[in-house]
Amino acid sequence: MPKSQFVDPVELRKAGKITFEDIDVNVYNKTVKEERKNYSDDDLKRIYRDITILREFESMINQIKLQGVYNGVEHTYPGPAHLSIGQEAAAVGQAYNLDKNDFIFGSHRSHSEILAKALSCIEKLSDKELMDIMENFLGGKVLRAVENNGQNSVKELAIDFIIYGALAEIFARENGFHLGLGGSMHAFFQPFGIYPNNAIVGGSGTIATGAALYKKVNNKSGIVVANIGDGALARGPMWEAMTFATMDQYRQLWEESKRGGMPILFNCFNNDYGMGGQTRGETMGYNMLARIGAGVSPTQLHAERVDGYNPLAVIDAMKRKKEILLNGDGPCFLDVVTYRVAGHSPSDSSSYRTKEEIEAWKAIDPVIKFREDLVAAGAAKDDELQKILDNSTALMTKICKMASDVEKSPYIDFDKDPAIVERLMFSNEKIAKLDDREPEVLAPKEECPRVVQIKGKERFAFKDGKPVSKLKVFNYRDALFEAICDKFYEDPTLITYGEDVRDWGGAFAVYRGLTEVLPYSRLFNSPIAESAIVGSAVGYAMSGGRVIVELMYADFIGCAGDEIFNQLAKWQSMSAGILKMPVVLRVSVGSKYGAQHSQDWTSLTAHIPGLKVVFPATPWEAKGLMASALNGTDPVVFFESQRLYDIGEQFHEGGVPEESYEIEIGDTNLIKKGDDITILTIGATLYRAMDAAKQLEEKYGISAEVINLHSICPLNYDKILESVKKTGKVVLASDACSRNSFLNDVARNITELAFDYLDAPPAVVGAQNWITPPFEFDKYFFPQDTWILDAINEKIMPLKGYVPTTNCTPVEQLRKAKMGV
Amino acid sequence: MAAGVLMPKQGITVESCIITKWYKQVGDSVKVGDLLFGYETDKSTFDCESTEEGEILEIFYNDGDDVPVLVNVCAVGTKGEDVSALRPDGAGATAEAAPAAEEKKEEKAAPAVVEEKKEIKVNNGEIKISPRARALADKEHVDIRLAEGSGPYGRVVEKDIRDLIDRGLTSTSAAFDAVKSADAAAVEGSAIGGRVGISDLGKAPVNPLTAAVVEDEFVDEKFPQIRKTIAKSMTASLSTMAQLTMNSAFDATEIMNYRASLKKSAEALGLPNITLNDIVLYAVSRTLLNHPDLNAHLIDGNTMRRFKHVHLGVAVDTPRGLMVPTIKYANLKSLAQISAEAKELAKMAQEGTISPDLLTGATFTISNLGSLGIESFTPVINPPQTGILGVDTLMTRVKEVNGELKAYKAMGLSLTIDHRAIDGAPAARFVKELCANLEAFSVLLAK
Repeated sequence: MPKSQFVDPVELRKAGKITFEDIDVNVYNKTVKEERKNYSDDDLKRIYRDITILREFESMINQIKLQGVYNGVEHTYPGPAHLSIGQEAAAVGQAYNLDKNDFIFGSHRSHSEILAKALSCIEKLSDKELMDIMENFLGGKVLRAVENNGQNSVKELAIDFIIYGALAEIFARENGFHLGLGGSMHAFFQPFGIYPNNAIVGGSGTIATGAALYKKVNNKSGIVVANIGDGALARGPMWEAMTFATMDQYRQLWEESKRGGMPILFNCFNNDYGMGGQTRGETMGYNMLARIGAGVSPTQLHAERVDGYNPLAVIDAMKRKKEILLNGDGPCFLDVVTYRVAGHSPSDSSSYRTKEEIEAWKAIDPVIKFREDLVAAGAAKDDELQKILDNSTALMTKICKMASDVEKSPYIDFDKDPAIVERLMFSNEKIAKLDDREPEVLAPKEECPRVVQIKGKERFAFKDGKPVSKLKVFNYRDALFEAICDKFYEDPTLITYGEDVRDWGGAFAVYRGLTEVLPYSRLFNSPIAESAIVGSAVGYAMSGGRVIVELMYADFIGCAGDEIFNQLAKWQSMSAGILKMPVVLRVSVGSKYGAQHSQDWTSLTAHIPGLKVVFPATPWEAKGLMASALNGTDPVVFFESQRLYDIGEQFHEGGVPEESYEIEIGDTNLIKKGDDITILTIGATLYRAMDAAKQLEEKYGISAEVINLHSICPLNYDKILESVKKTGKVVLASDACSRNSFLNDVARNITELAFDYLDAPPAVVGAQNWITPPFEFDKYFFPQDTWILDAINEKIMPLKGYVPTTNCTPVEQLRKAKMGV
Repeated sequence: MAAGVLMPKQGITVESCIITKWYKQVGDSVKVGDLLFGYETDKSTFDCESTEEGEILEIFYNDGDDVPVLVNVCAVGTKGEDVSALRPDGAGATAEAAPAAEEKKEEKAAPAVVEEKKEIKVNNGEIKISPRARALADKEHVDIRLAEGSGPYGRVVEKDIRDLIDRGLTSTSAAFDAVKSADAAAVEGSAIGGRVGISDLGKAPVNPLTAAVVEDEFVDEKFPQIRKTIAKSMTASLSTMAQLTMNSAFDATEIMNYRASLKKSAEALGLPNITLNDIVLYAVSRTLLNHPDLNAHLIDGNTMRRFKHVHLGVAVDTPRGLMVPTIKYANLKSLAQISAEAKELAKMAQEGTISPDLLTGATFTISNLGSLGIESFTPVINPPQTGILGVDTLMTRVKEVNGELKAYKAMGLSLTIDHRAIDGAPAARFVKELCANLEAFSVLLAK
């Protein structure tokens, strides 16, 4: 809460009531005949055409799935098929007024949405624009596959292109939009503003919000549509997204040029079922979905219900909502009533609904009903419409034949190129700034109070052999600040947000001083909504921006589990490299705050393919790694430690350089040379390991080499192996619970890669597999210097006269494993 | 009544012999004259014949044991007889740990941290050993059964192998291989990285490619006894004497003609094949007495022992190393006798059957590297002798005869003297006289 806003007890304690506006339900009541004033007959016929193309596309997949044949084209497709048969009119109605600058994000059931949006863009774009897009997409590969196949116009060619590209993607072919690596639930086409669909229910809510944030912060045109189903409204991240998108600060605190509501439409294709669960009447309690808009903001999200079986009703609603959004009065919410005639998936036997119900919806099927309306209104002759329908069938037959033909549409060849996916896991680019415009700041860097304060600090922890005082030393948080501050003055797209980052300066004061130099839109407090924080960062980055988000404690990673593990990690590779993900996710490992605020979860994040994970333990590492993460284009989970923020650089000669420098992510840091044993550390354990090394040297004449693993993934083993081959002995220590600690992975690799050099198996020292007890009992839970000596004495080399402090015998190890502790 | 079989004394200077191999085992019946075991001195190998008849009741020393001469090696008699009276002091108990006992002499001071004197135990049971320690043991030829595991739960770790190396407890590569093959069939590792995998066990070797890859860059081999002796005497020679070598050459036309003429009729006359070296030996035996300081021993660095007769040491290259048998009283023997004796001695030396007594007592030595094409070298004196003559190869030289250049064969001589015993000029006079005698060999023969 900023000081400019007064929390007035008098105001807050006053009696009164909250009033609501009425929420419109299916108020559109125009006939086609009436609408012929607003639409040309060609427009109306094109709406019908688009509905039939969508229908035929889904019918084709349905037949391939169920019968293995479509119009004589035989094919086996083992993948998912969440079809939207019955929902086509709603999709076409939505797309009608959207152009390529408007972004849509979808769900697992989004074939119709992406095709409708594509058909709308094809209609709106010039032939030249279309040709440019097709030529430039994947080097023209998809275009080469479809061109010269009897098309009469560029638009016809573009339609072939989009349907073929989508189907090849679904059929897992190399000519698919993303080499077939995304598939049915993740098909999208970025050049038309069609952004990823998502197999996680409601997954698009937070990501679309991030895309809207990108448009808002970077003054980009267009709106963003988050397409979800009614089932998704039960999910927390959806509510977090709506909360994030409706923050008062956009209207009340942000700088004049960015002030206003978020340009996002939460669009619910409400087919009344979340898989087989009936949302109205069984699994939810809103009765009418549009109602929820009233609970989110005073604007009630401009929510209304609209009849999705009437394409003209949806077009009408979309037109009005888009206007609201472009006027800066968003977000909006639409409850689009529709119905899926097909099952949730081909395995769905519709055990949860009656035949009568399905028949009742089939009876008003737009393919029939809208056709009748057009004929009745005199907009088209029935045989014309029949021809449109026949054309769609012929088109789909042609495309299906091409996409199922392995010669024309090969699979990616893992035998020939086993590393094809490997190369897509990270983009590994270095791009200093993602836009050339001048970064928006409130004052020159030199005037930033923090920059001034840091100038007077000592950049090495010791001066003339004595430790520099805590207040005088350039510390770990200064190091992070310096790298981040530098980047804010370089990359105009860089923004940062999280809990308490602005006035507070971040819970651990890393950002202190930035408030004075950055406008609100670049540094702002988010709601306590970890899913939205990370999910929006994913959307911001895939739209073209760079972002640092902070979750405060690493323990909150669980709150943003899907957004970190499924979204942040996977979109670069699922898009076959089309999307980049320059996101730095800062998390801090706590101490003193008990079981839910003290966990080192590097192992969890390192397990997920597609994330880079670092954990600097010294200021020199912190600054260099942050600079490296911020220059890169990959998602980096950046672990920090509350045990470390105050410390100065004790190891790097000359201290922390003032100028910008990078430490390559993957490197290791040789802290201390030694000959007899190697100690590898992650995080704050480094300092306890140094204590242990000192005792080994002084009491036992054993010279320890200490290497800190500031990078967890990727990790270059060269120096580790070099050291272990020299010493033959290695102990690994971190504050993570020992079971499934990442260190076990390192130990395994050392064992395999240096087996013949080992004098003992690598010994891993981790925290107990318990809850973290209160700080007073730290020494019973977290690895201590003595634990490292215990492990050496028991498992590697008995230390003469040493009295162990803990029991690390094999018997105890087995007992603990048996007990699960 | 049981009786002992003694380790024979092969020559008056021999104090002990090493048993190389037992041919019989306890329980075998033997007759007088049956071969019991092979043994070696520092210069020769021999077989020991049984001097008793009966059953071998106990063997007191094993293969590789260093046994003092004239000590019972085994007991022969009738089964059940008490042999305790025959058992030499200290034998028997050490038999099991024999290789270690032999090596113990070289034991260095243990590292400071290991204060207690370690006993060597052989662990024939299961050995837990770290890969690093095993790799080191392989490289340094350490028998891991001797290692005492100081790691967790008795694991043999790198330090334990290092301890053994520091104490000199390594073996020859051959012995090491034997130990290894005794433990498990030697197999070539076909597993990843050349390791021996389960599938290799019991499998016949050999994949030469793999073997080539895993082979060591070099092989360490301990000196055999004879090499040790040579090394010791050579080092002593060069480090205690003031050696000086001078080179000369003589016209070999005369001795070559003489040898050629003898060769034609040698068989008819019953003469041995007289070589140029034999001729040099003869000439030296006749010239040396005119230079008594060279036919002498320097005792304690201050006493010259000049000999009345010439005992010529003749250096012989043998498969076991350098040996120097002696032609006693060479000055009294004819050229034919010297030639015959030199061949006989060389043969025995090469076969390793020469009596140690024949390897001592020389007053002067001749070493011939000329047959190997050496033009000049610095022979090393066998102490306490005062000189050694090196015989070099034949070279073609030219000289002026009546104003014309004439090619001739010259033979080089390299004399090393102990400058403490004799000065350069008198030594040079010996060479000069020797050359003159060789150039007019028929005259010398006539004397």
